[in-house]
Amino acid sequence: MKIDPSLKNVLQDFSRSYRAKRSNVLQGYDFEALRTALAEVKDKALTRNAELLSEFEKNARAHGTIVFRARDGREANELVLKICRDHGVTKMAKGKSMVSEETGLNGFLAKRGVEARETDLGEWIVQLGAESPTHMVMPAIHMTRGDVAALFSKKLGRTVPDDIPSLVRIARGEMRREIFTAQAGLTGANALIAESGAIMLVTNEGNGRLVTTVPPVHIVLASIEKVLPSVREALLLLKLLPRNATGQSITSYVSFIAGPHAAAQYVIILDNHRTEMAADPVFRDALRCIKCSACLNVCPVYQMIGGEEYAHIYMGGIGTLFTAWIYGLRASKALARLCLRCHRCEAYCATKIPIADLITALAEKINREAGRALWKRFAFDGVLGTPRLQKAAFGAARLARRAIASGDGYARRLPAWMKKYDRFRALPAPAPRPLSRTFGRVIASEATAKPSAKGSVTLFAGCLVEHFYPEIGLAGARVLSKLGYDVKLAPPMCCGFPMSNAGFRRASGKAFSALLEKFRNGGPIVTLCPTCSTMLAARGPELVKNEKARRLASSIVPFSRFVLEKERSALAAWSRPSPGPARVTYHDSCHHKHLLKASGESRELVRLALGTAVVEMDEPDACCGFAGSFTVDNPEISAALLADKLAAIERTGADEVALDCPGCLLQVRGGCYRNGLAVRVSHTAEILDRALRGYPRS
Amino acid sequence: MSLNEFIDKAVAAGAEVVRLESTGAAVAYLKKYLGDNGVCAILVSPELKTRPPFCDEFSGAPEKPPAGEPWADVGVVAADYGIAETGTLVRFDRSDDDKNVWTLPEVCFCFLERNRVVPALDAIAPFLTEHLARTDLASPQVSLVTGPSRTADIENQLTIGVHGPSRLIILLT
Repeated sequence: MKIDPSLKNVLQDFSRSYRAKRSNVLQGYDFEALRTALAEVKDKALTRNAELLSEFEKNARAHGTIVFRARDGREANELVLKICRDHGVTKMAKGKSMVSEETGLNGFLAKRGVEARETDLGEWIVQLGAESPTHMVMPAIHMTRGDVAALFSKKLGRTVPDDIPSLVRIARGEMRREIFTAQAGLTGANALIAESGAIMLVTNEGNGRLVTTVPPVHIVLASIEKVLPSVREALLLLKLLPRNATGQSITSYVSFIAGPHAAAQYVIILDNHRTEMAADPVFRDALRCIKCSACLNVCPVYQMIGGEEYAHIYMGGIGTLFTAWIYGLRASKALARLCLRCHRCEAYCATKIPIADLITALAEKINREAGRALWKRFAFDGVLGTPRLQKAAFGAARLARRAIASGDGYARRLPAWMKKYDRFRALPAPAPRPLSRTFGRVIASEATAKPSAKGSVTLFAGCLVEHFYPEIGLAGARVLSKLGYDVKLAPPMCCGFPMSNAGFRRASGKAFSALLEKFRNGGPIVTLCPTCSTMLAARGPELVKNEKARRLASSIVPFSRFVLEKERSALAAWSRPSPGPARVTYHDSCHHKHLLKASGESRELVRLALGTAVVEMDEPDACCGFAGSFTVDNPEISAALLADKLAAIERTGADEVALDCPGCLLQVRGGCYRNGLAVRVSHTAEILDRALRGYPRS
Repeated sequence: MSLNEFIDKAVAAGAEVVRLESTGAAVAYLKKYLGDNGVCAILVSPELKTRPPFCDEFSGAPEKPPAGEPWADVGVVAADYGIAETGTLVRFDRSDDDKNVWTLPEVCFCFLERNRVVPALDAIAPFLTEHLARTDLASPQVSLVTGPSRTADIENQLTIGVHGPSRLIILLT
């Protein structure tokens, strides 16, 4: 996968300006309440889909509209063609319609003598250059003004200036002529309103208005999930769509149209596997999508590679889900591997679609129905899924340690096939002894003599800490012990997350159950890894639905949340024995921030530990690029995400980076080492431990 | 309160708002603009051509451009409501020509009476439903227009006047 630096910059700038505009326009609105309401509206409408479509059809017919249903893309295209033939249409002007991209309408019509011309500026440019749209709302986002000017000059046969207002001016004239010479106009619909038999169309440019009123025939191409009961629900959608799509309170033009204005109006309602999707209890959630593109606008991977790479027709994570249903699992296979599962998009989704979890469900479906990658099957189903083999594998890695470890804990002399993973980030060698073998001795010698007054806690360290970073486990244990808790170590077993993430549900359930067996009741379980936390507190209990799993789930507390909740006043009153590092910045680990929502607690903990607030880096919640098997599947993107993260860290001038996830630590620490950055990378528990023990005076 | 919000939001969306004492003053303002700018290609909403006091001035004006010439300098329309929350003009369209007068010209003048400004779209939702159910119109349509036509499709730079007018001037009376 090649990453084009100029495209990346454009997309990242766009993302930044989008987020600023969006947060501005949502001031004074309760986004959470609005999107909860819209999600409910869409869910209900989906449940009543068949009934609402019949109602729409009946009411649209009463206005004189002709309504067709199309089972698949081919049928929809044939219907459009028949309408064109019936009305003698040889040229059609189009408003933006993703559904027509889905059915490949333009190409289909072109082969049969009907010219379909796009009139949305971005789409028009893309069509002129014979390219594909790379963003749902901003189709030509990958092109600069220079590219557009060169294209116009070539196509129009005269040199055009490359300033944007002139380019828009030229396009205006050309497109106006296209619309006035077309015999039919085709648009999508943002909503089909059942009660009125009307469509709602949301545009900025005004082409939607011209395309629907100038040519005598108007064709609407819309998919089944667009139907809503009444104007009231459409207005709720309108409240969120522009705000979430482009950060506008409303777009320049919104049209409600009922019935044919001149010769005829046709509405073609496309299913294309959506009814099957709606019947699936898991994937039906994706049909709530209103195509606002907010998820793309904040997706770290989309910003790296753009919509040409990260798309079949529909783009990004949500697009991957539609691709799987519309074009089949095989078409979605490569796309599914591009999702970080960082969950960032879910905070922005207008209808609360759990995109990342649906991608995980898709990975399961692909493994079940479309064949799995051999290495994944070996690693996740075989080794990690079998506790005995897992132990043996880490044991073997430790034996090899002498051969591969350098003096500073990093692996060297790696086999050639691992080089691409080691080039941008030094990989750690396994620790000489796992945490579980040193824990008892170290903690016994550190614990205070007096009996622990505050009761006992169980520390769940996670595999990376157990095998690679036992010092983080010891730090966490020392802190809890110093604060007066009796600390026990949880059984050093895999929680099952990696298997779940790779789509090996059975192996994941098996690992989680094995772990569950070993747990005794009572007391909080403090975790040092956000990803294990989400497995133990949420995903595991979904796989193994029993009382014990539920009890386990309710005992899970992330380390920083536990310490802050229980010991805030003690830490606030505590006088620091010596100054810590001057500048500490904080990296938001994806699961820590988006799932556990514990980033605020960690920052506060670091502040209390060091007596100074963290210095914020740019985009602290941009993924570092590790993301488990993502870094194996996509080393180039992983490296690019890490490079951005390291640059953001460097710009803060910080001496130390705090974070909460051992996976991020592997990535960021290894990246600093490989790039010679003199920045210490520490788990929050290590920072607190050092602060409580007193930083050595240097 | 709503009125000030309407003005602020309309201006923020790129519209121009001119506050005038009366409809007569608004018509005079428009006539002066047409005279000062030597405008000849003008389109007037068919409905205005029959409504006093506009009919006195515009009864003879065209409502669509000549065939093959899809251009006009100025369009003259009236809005049924103003929405304070977003600075939006609401028009219950009576015909396509009515609708096109909003979109085809370079500059669009829109009359709006201040007592027609409501706080939010929800307030007029029932009227939308009612209008869309009308059977006496061939194609009942409702247009919400906020500021001039805009695009950001080239380099994410906001540029106005891509399909519709580059100036939307609201004559608020």
